[in-house]
Amino acid sequence: MSAVKKPLGFNARVQAALADPTLKIAIDRTIGNARTKRAAAMAQWPQFPAARELGRDIKDHVIAHLDHYLVKFERNARRSGAAVHWACSGAEACEIVVDICRKAGARSVTRSKSMLGEEIGLPHALQEAGIERVETDLAEHIIQLAGDPPSHIVWPAMHKTREQVAELFHRHHHTPLPLDTVENMVASARRELRSRFLAADVGISGANFLIADSGAVCTVTNEGNAELTTTLPRVHIVTAGIEKLVPSTAHAMAMLRLLVRSATGAEFTQYTTFHCGPKRSGDLDGPAEFHIVLVDGGRTRMLAEGLADMLRCIRCGACMNHCVVYRQIGGHAYGSTYPGPLGSVLTPLLQGLPQSADLPRACTLNGQCQEVCPVAIPLPTLLRGWRDRAWSTGIESVTARWALGLWGFVALRPALYRLASAWAVRVMSLFARDGWIARMPLAGGWTHYRDLPQPPKRTFMAQYRRRRARS
Amino acid sequence: MSAARGTILTAIRAALAHRRGGLAEPDEAGIAAEAELLRARVVSTRPDRLEDGAQSAFLRRLVSPGVGATAESVAQLADFPAAVRRYLTAQGLRPSVALQPHPELRALDWSGIETHAQISADEPAAVGLALGAIAETGTLVFHSSPASPTLFAFLPAHHIVAVEAARIWRWLEDYADAFADGVQPRNVNLITGASGTTDIEGALVRGAHGPGRLHVVLVGGAARDSNH
Repeated sequence: MSAVKKPLGFNARVQAALADPTLKIAIDRTIGNARTKRAAAMAQWPQFPAARELGRDIKDHVIAHLDHYLVKFERNARRSGAAVHWACSGAEACEIVVDICRKAGARSVTRSKSMLGEEIGLPHALQEAGIERVETDLAEHIIQLAGDPPSHIVWPAMHKTREQVAELFHRHHHTPLPLDTVENMVASARRELRSRFLAADVGISGANFLIADSGAVCTVTNEGNAELTTTLPRVHIVTAGIEKLVPSTAHAMAMLRLLVRSATGAEFTQYTTFHCGPKRSGDLDGPAEFHIVLVDGGRTRMLAEGLADMLRCIRCGACMNHCVVYRQIGGHAYGSTYPGPLGSVLTPLLQGLPQSADLPRACTLNGQCQEVCPVAIPLPTLLRGWRDRAWSTGIESVTARWALGLWGFVALRPALYRLASAWAVRVMSLFARDGWIARMPLAGGWTHYRDLPQPPKRTFMAQYRRRRARS
Repeated sequence: MSAARGTILTAIRAALAHRRGGLAEPDEAGIAAEAELLRARVVSTRPDRLEDGAQSAFLRRLVSPGVGATAESVAQLADFPAAVRRYLTAQGLRPSVALQPHPELRALDWSGIETHAQISADEPAAVGLALGAIAETGTLVFHSSPASPTLFAFLPAHHIVAVEAARIWRWLEDYADAFADGVQPRNVNLITGASGTTDIEGALVRGAHGPGRLHVVLVGGAARDSNH
């Protein structure tokens, strides 16, 4: 894993990921499991296509009236006693959070997993401010100990094998239990983190949904760490993207059916909580202060620049679980908060296209991501949009422009194209053994890590002509 | 109001006006009507599972592998302490529980079990009363209040919960509708099984942070389940 921490370019990160002997095993164990469980859940839910259209339309409705719903949410949240803050950028959001922590005299902060927190760089901002940060989601706890960034939005420690986790806990837990089984590893983390929950001055969570008509914030977890994070400390801070709104609790339920099955294949998360304001009169627990930080962070630009469909995203991770590229290279190779197809659409907007034009290119456009997306985001179309923009703004390298120009020249001349492809399949067959090509000049980038299937002996057009002649 | 609020809302309004291309923004009633139409569409998107009634569906979901709770039924709430005693014995636990400070629970006869109103960080077992349940997902509903502190559902190793059969909503939306016009509680906790994690190699392990075991005692269930 050490290779991926250096600031390498995309190609070098991909090389490092492909060369990692344990990464592929770790990806297959978690992601394979996720795909199987999602498929089983969908088999039990023939209404999925209709549900997905509804999910898409609910999100589109909110986005079309985003100002209305934001103001409504703010009004209702304030009525519940919450303080609502607004931040244009991630840096501004971090400043607001750090300021609240300082005013609360916070030394220790617990966090419940939030992709927005990662996106805005909150872990780093807390560290800069000298505030101790305790990640409470088990996977986040693992990667905090390892010093790794998350590699998946649902399973951030997906790149770690059980053996590596045992090693980390043995080294870092104060009184580690025997770490021979996954059960014991979980028990050891539970014991280690319990005292940290109690000691925290501030708890920070994200939001899966913001409920406009009640001002409540919905979080989902399976571990129960969100509720311990938000109930025990004196101050609860929510950081949420402005696109997280839904009109009402009932609309949130329709979205939850889609989110949970798409993410883990379960039907409902163990803990689905609607948080609304601070402790009330007579309450025996709950935070005395409740803050919500609404973050733009590029979302209004998405709305203005043709990426409004991406604002539907509910961060389930199904697109990466079904991405043939992600499954080979894992999350770190993407070099950004959001990996996989959704990340390849978001990162050029968040980091700038010149720095991340490789990401929309690392896609086969097989359409699997769009097919499984619970809100029907046209991910391949959006990725192609970035490729168009990279081409029209001159970001593509001279080599790529030259190669595409050459391909275009040949493809526009059918006779020449047939000749070239007939020649190519013949040459490729020369290198094939038992139906597979293990080595071939100019194909090292592919064959170094896996074999290439031998193409049919004749091109499609040659076969077509022969069959027509026969019939 | 911060400058960011104005900047964000102005940017949204400009982008939306551009997208509408001259069409007027619908008024509040228009937006509400659109939202209501969306809300109504949910009926045809829900999984088929309530054919044999809400109670049976609830119990079936509750003990399904995905939810992983255990369940039993008793005739009335007065029978709940005996069910708790049986559970503690079967699990080899000491007869000592944190009792949710709910007046109906406190009014019961807890002889033979030591009960305390405070819950500790490493509480072995807590006993609670849910506000209700949702059949579709096998979910228990808790609304935080002085009689229902949130932590009782999250700190203990074992959570033993009574729920009245008469308070089972069929679908997630039925629960939402029942409280749509009321005051939103500080916390609504929808609890569906015991705590679990799949963070290490995707393997499911119970008791990650919340309770490792959830035992539900259904109170006053009809012998024959009604379809409502």
